[in-house]
Amino acid sequence: MKTFWFILTMAAVIWYIFVTAYVAFKGVGDIKEMLANLTKKQNKD
Amino acid sequence: MTNFNWLLDGSIVGVYLLVTMIAGLWVRKYVDKVEDFLVAGREMNVYLGIASLAATEFGIVTCMYTAEAGYKYGFAGATPGIAMAVAMLIVGYTGFCIKPLRDSGVITIPELIEKQFGSRVRWAAGVVIVLGGLLNMGVFLRIGGQFLVQVAGINVGYLEITMTILLLGVALYTIFGGMLSVLVTDFFEFIVMCVGLIAVTILILVNIGWEKIVTTVETNYGAGGFNPFVHPDLGWQYVVFQFLLNFAAVLTWQTTIARVLAAKDTKTGQKIYTRTSFFFVCRFLIPGIWGIAALATLGKMTNTLDAMPIFLSTFVPIGLMGLCIAAMLAADMSTDSSYMLTWASVIYNDILAPFRKGKWSEKRGLFWNRSIVALIGLFLLFYGLWYPLEGDVWTYLGITGTIYLASISVILIATCYWKRANSWGAIGSIFFAAVIPITYLVLEKTQPETAKAIGAYTSGIAAYVFSALAMVVGSTLKNMIGGKSA
Repeated sequence: MKTFWFILTMAAVIWYIFVTAYVAFKGVGDIKEMLANLTKKQNKD
Repeated sequence: MTNFNWLLDGSIVGVYLLVTMIAGLWVRKYVDKVEDFLVAGREMNVYLGIASLAATEFGIVTCMYTAEAGYKYGFAGATPGIAMAVAMLIVGYTGFCIKPLRDSGVITIPELIEKQFGSRVRWAAGVVIVLGGLLNMGVFLRIGGQFLVQVAGINVGYLEITMTILLLGVALYTIFGGMLSVLVTDFFEFIVMCVGLIAVTILILVNIGWEKIVTTVETNYGAGGFNPFVHPDLGWQYVVFQFLLNFAAVLTWQTTIARVLAAKDTKTGQKIYTRTSFFFVCRFLIPGIWGIAALATLGKMTNTLDAMPIFLSTFVPIGLMGLCIAAMLAADMSTDSSYMLTWASVIYNDILAPFRKGKWSEKRGLFWNRSIVALIGLFLLFYGLWYPLEGDVWTYLGITGTIYLASISVILIATCYWKRANSWGAIGSIFFAAVIPITYLVLEKTQPETAKAIGAYTSGIAAYVFSALAMVVGSTLKNMIGGKSA
C-alpha cells in the first residue's frame, strides 16, 4: 500500500504541474474564442 | 506569530485580488441575455472548462476538510478523491446521464425532470437542490475565515469584516458578469491556486520528506492509515458511502453539472469530465499530505480542523506565504462565485417557473437573476458568517449534501433511462432521501448510542438505497393502479 500511495502522490504532483502549464496556455485561446463568438452573436441580434 | 509579511505577501495578495476583480468586471459587456448570464451562451471549450471545474470544486473549505482527513486518517483519508475520480472518468467516458442532459438543451436538472415527472416534481426538485446546496455552502465563509486567521495571523475580531469585503468583491463581478465572469476569473484563480498548491507541496516533500510522512502515518494509524478497509473508524461502509456520494455528486451537484450545461456541445462536456477526473485525486491527496505533515510536525491536537493552517503559518516562508494565501483566496473566490450563480440559476429557472407566466424579456430576466445572486450573497453573509453555527460541521455538511444528492441522482437516472418512472416514485425518492439523514441527525442528538450503533456511513448508504427503492416501488404502484383503472 505504501508504494501505491507513493506512486499516486508523485503522479498527482506531476499531473498538477503539467496540467497547470497546459491549461494556462490553451485556456487563453478558449477565452478569446468564447468572447469572439459572443460578440458575433451580439452583432447578429 | 506567523511568517506572513504584510508588505511583501500582502502586495502579492493585493495584486492578485485587483487583477481578478478587473477581469471579472471587464467581461460584463458580453452579457446580453439570460443564457449568457447563466451558461455563458454555451460557448465554453475544453480547457476553460477544466480550469473552471477544478477551481470551483476546490475551496478553502475543501482544503480544510481534506487536510483534516489526512491528519485524522492518514492516506486512507484520500479515498473520497479516488472515488470521485473514478466516477468522473466513467461518467465522462460513457456520457451516462450527462449526454441526455446536455443534448436536451436545458439550463438546470429540474427542467429536464419536468419532461417526465411534471411541473410539481420539477418545483420540488428545485427546492431540494437549493435547500441542500445553500445550507451546504452556508459554512464556507466562516471556515475560509478561520484559515486566514490562522495562516495570516489576522486578528479574530477582523474575521467577519475581512470575509465580508471578500464576498462583496466576488458578488460584484458575479452579479454583473454571471457565468462569463465566473469562467474568466476561474481561469486566473485556477492558475494562481495550482501554482500555490504545487509550491507548498514540493516544499513539504523536500523539507519534511516522504519517509517522515510515511512513518508518521504508520506510527499513528498503522495499516489503517494506508487502507480504509482496515481503519477502525472507516471500514467498507465508508468506502461504499464515498462511492455512492461521489457518483451522485458527479451526476447532479449543481456547480459540477453547470460546466456540462455551459459546454459548447455534449462531446466537450464529456471531455471536460474525463480530463478533469484525476484532479479529484489531487484535490484530496495534496491537502491530505499537508494534514499528515501537520501531524508529523505538531503532533496530536484537539482541534484537528485548525492543525493544517497552524502548521502552514510557521512552515511556509515569507514571499511564498503571499502566494499560498493568494492561492487559497483564489480557491475560495472561484467556489463562492460559482456556487452563488449556479444555485441562483435553479431558483430562477425552476422555483420561480410557476410565477413566470408568459415570456419575460431578457432585460427583466437578467434583473431577476442578478437580484437572486445578490440575495444569495446576503444569505451567505448573515447565515454563514454573522450567525454562529451550532454543532458539528461535518455532520452538517454530510446531511445537507445527502438530502439533495440521493434523491436528485435517482430521479435523474430514472428520467434518462426508465420511461415507466413517474411522479409517485419521484416524490417517494425525495421523501426517503430527506427523512433518513434527518432522522439520523435527530438520533445523534437524542439517542447517541443508537446513532453510534447504526453509524453515519450506514445511514448514508441507506438514504441512497431507500431513495432508489422508493423510485421503483412508487412508480410500479402508480403504473399498476393506472393500468387497472384504464
